[in-house]
Amino acid sequence: MPATVAQSLAFGILVGALYALAAVGLSLVFGVTKFLNVAHGEFLMFGGYASFWLFTLLGVDPFASIPLSMLFLVLIGLLVYRLLFSRMAKLPTQEKIRNTLLVGFGLGLILQNVALRLWTADNRGITPSYAREALTILGVRLPYVRVASLILAFVFLFALQLFLRRTYTGKAIRATVEDWEAATLMGIDVHRVYLLSFLLAAALAGAAGTLVAVGYSVEPTMGMHWTLKGLIVLVMGGIGSITGTLVGGLILGVAESATAVFINSNYRQVVGLVIFILVLLIRPQGLFGTKEG
Amino acid sequence: MTVKKIIPVALLVVGVMVLWLVPTFIKSDSAVNLLILTFIYVMLAVSWNILGGYTGQVNLGHAAFFGLGTLATRLLYTSGFHIFPSLLAAGVVAVVFSMFIGIPAFRLRLRGDYFTIGTLALSQILYITVGNVLPKITYLPIEDIQNYQLNLRYYLILALALFTIGVAYMLAKSRLGLGMMAVRENEDAAEALGVNAFSHKLLALALSAFLGGLAGGAYAYYQTSYYFNYTFTPLWSLDPVTITFVGGVGTVIGPVIGAVFFVLVKEFLVLRMGEYHLIVFGILFILVVLFLPGGLVEAWERVRQAIARRLKYRETAVPSLELRKD
Amino acid sequence: MLELKGVNAYYGQLQALWDVSLEVNEGEFVALIGPNGAGKTTTLKVITGLLKPAAGTVRFCGRDLVREPANRIVELGISQVPEGGRVFTGMTVLENLELGAFVAQARKDRVQSLQWVFGIFPRLEERKHQRAGTLSGGERQMLAIGRALMSKPKLLLLDEPSFGLAPLLVEHIFETITEINKQGVTILLVEQNIRAALELASRAYVIENGRVVGQGAHEDLLSFESVRSAYLG
Repeated sequence: MPATVAQSLAFGILVGALYALAAVGLSLVFGVTKFLNVAHGEFLMFGGYASFWLFTLLGVDPFASIPLSMLFLVLIGLLVYRLLFSRMAKLPTQEKIRNTLLVGFGLGLILQNVALRLWTADNRGITPSYAREALTILGVRLPYVRVASLILAFVFLFALQLFLRRTYTGKAIRATVEDWEAATLMGIDVHRVYLLSFLLAAALAGAAGTLVAVGYSVEPTMGMHWTLKGLIVLVMGGIGSITGTLVGGLILGVAESATAVFINSNYRQVVGLVIFILVLLIRPQGLFGTKEG
Repeated sequence: MTVKKIIPVALLVVGVMVLWLVPTFIKSDSAVNLLILTFIYVMLAVSWNILGGYTGQVNLGHAAFFGLGTLATRLLYTSGFHIFPSLLAAGVVAVVFSMFIGIPAFRLRLRGDYFTIGTLALSQILYITVGNVLPKITYLPIEDIQNYQLNLRYYLILALALFTIGVAYMLAKSRLGLGMMAVRENEDAAEALGVNAFSHKLLALALSAFLGGLAGGAYAYYQTSYYFNYTFTPLWSLDPVTITFVGGVGTVIGPVIGAVFFVLVKEFLVLRMGEYHLIVFGILFILVVLFLPGGLVEAWERVRQAIARRLKYRETAVPSLELRKD
Repeated sequence: MLELKGVNAYYGQLQALWDVSLEVNEGEFVALIGPNGAGKTTTLKVITGLLKPAAGTVRFCGRDLVREPANRIVELGISQVPEGGRVFTGMTVLENLELGAFVAQARKDRVQSLQWVFGIFPRLEERKHQRAGTLSGGERQMLAIGRALMSKPKLLLLDEPSFGLAPLLVEHIFETITEINKQGVTILLVEQNIRAALELASRAYVIENGRVVGQGAHEDLLSFESVRSAYLG
């Protein structure tokens, strides 16, 4: 029993890092632009497929294809932003949240069905030669690809943190999160900041998609699950806090594993949703976040 | 009563009569099936609209009400209850469930977007849970299948759809409905005018859940076999939202038009190029949200006004010509 | 330097400014006074581009500001201290000041500008690594002014810098503004504290119900009810 528990805990942490990576883009975009882009999970799915096909057709190593997958998502993000989201950038906040949510919802539906038509409903995983190899510590099996994914997720989150803290552009993004009018008075072009954070989020979704495809698998309807994971992590971690997002992601991963071990593996998807509802009702500003407008 | 008021009433009566006579004259089961499906979509969209359109609380988990309705009716009906109490149970179960999210969310004055994602999450919880507890296909009782009365179901579901539309219509015309719309436009201002936002939102939710559950009940009575959790899939949440917006959110007739349009587009596209209707409808939905917030109803209204303007122009132009003759 | 002519502005359907004209010359210290809700803040919004006028012209150093997006107007040399300061509370004092120097030209000279601002407000240097949210009301106002100066403005707009501050602090803030003006920065001050504003400024405009109803030095303005009551009260 303890061995199973340790193994589950390990798997929970490994997948939790990906939850955090999937959530951070959603959180960034929401914080900066007040867009609730529920098609974020579909972005992630497209990233996964990009790497899957690069591997299957051209033999590109999945980890090497991460930049390509990110670039692909930046292009999709640019198209989606210009066509759809830029039109809602100037709406009053509550209306903006509602409309972006609806548009994101419709977009998700479209992307999901496009994927279904193009690539069928099959589950696809990337299986390079080293896919089955694992590190074993004290009887706990740690597949290399998942460990590498965890490390990469941490690297991405750390890099994003550094970017937001250290660079002028990053500070402009944080200023826009706090008070876009005051940011405008600094000479910051908030609409460029909107676009930038949207593209950044899309790129991070691309990277997350690749890591999901290599450690797990992708299929057309996965988008909503990942959007929900992102939203769960977002309400736990609070908006705009990268540390909160990371902790929230890891907690979600571990909570799912614990449910699988102690209750029933069929309910692992439910626990996050229950946490989500409870957090919404008890602490609408997030477990770790401070009050946000 | 003026002519203007008689025309819609007459149209309604004729329409209902035509629908009532369909099974008598049209012997095609597929046409009747298609109409039944349309009625169910009408019920789903109209019921969604009561909460989403009248009070502006976007619910992305309507499948929960629909699914619970199917579950209640199916379980009771297959265990020997008459269909009427089974249908009633569908509505009641959905209402009871809706209170679990409605009371805390509206009491806390949770922001609209939190309510929205909350409903999405709740419907997912149900979907997974039902899939785990009842991981099997449900069949109608054997005697029902062997002696399947399609026409009986047609009339019953048509009546349920008319009932749903009737409730939505009466509500829209009532003080209660006006209060709901005031809450949608500006919650604080509505409260200042003496409208209790909490009770109005809660009542809209209850009605929406009841009628959504009823739609589920109708589906359970109609469909011979399906997986228990099929009626909880997210698509049953998505469809009423897109249908209502495309038709015209917040109006009585919009969701009805949207549902008919949806089924037509679906049938047409399935014939022409396979399962592309969701992509097409998704695009339509986005276009409506971005450019035509009133949906098809608003589009029609604009066309009508343009025509009226042109006619008016002609009317005023004619006498002036005659004047010139003098 | 700055010239508004016949400006009409709306919030949605609601007209907030009627035919507003005013002028600020280089090096001047001009006040814009009037009761609450008269349109003072709206006038500033029109100048900084946060609100675009429906009619009229806004010119600055010969350029038409109506056609410039809000963020470009900062580059042209106009900087605003918004009402209540609106510092970025989640960021440090230093980060706030750095953001003040966001536009390209200002960014080049930000080290010198920082020395200049710290010279004016030594308190900010002491607290430079503190989060702005932990500052006192007076310190936040200093930070807001310092942040606005970091863009090296030709024209500094101040919206109610005295609001909510203790009298001693108000005096200090006003002295500082006078000092900044003496260093060559043109000032347009919006104030409800009419008496203080009139004593500091060389000239003032009185705005009531969205219209400019008078202008001149303070003795010229005593015929206005709001001005008189400020002196009597």
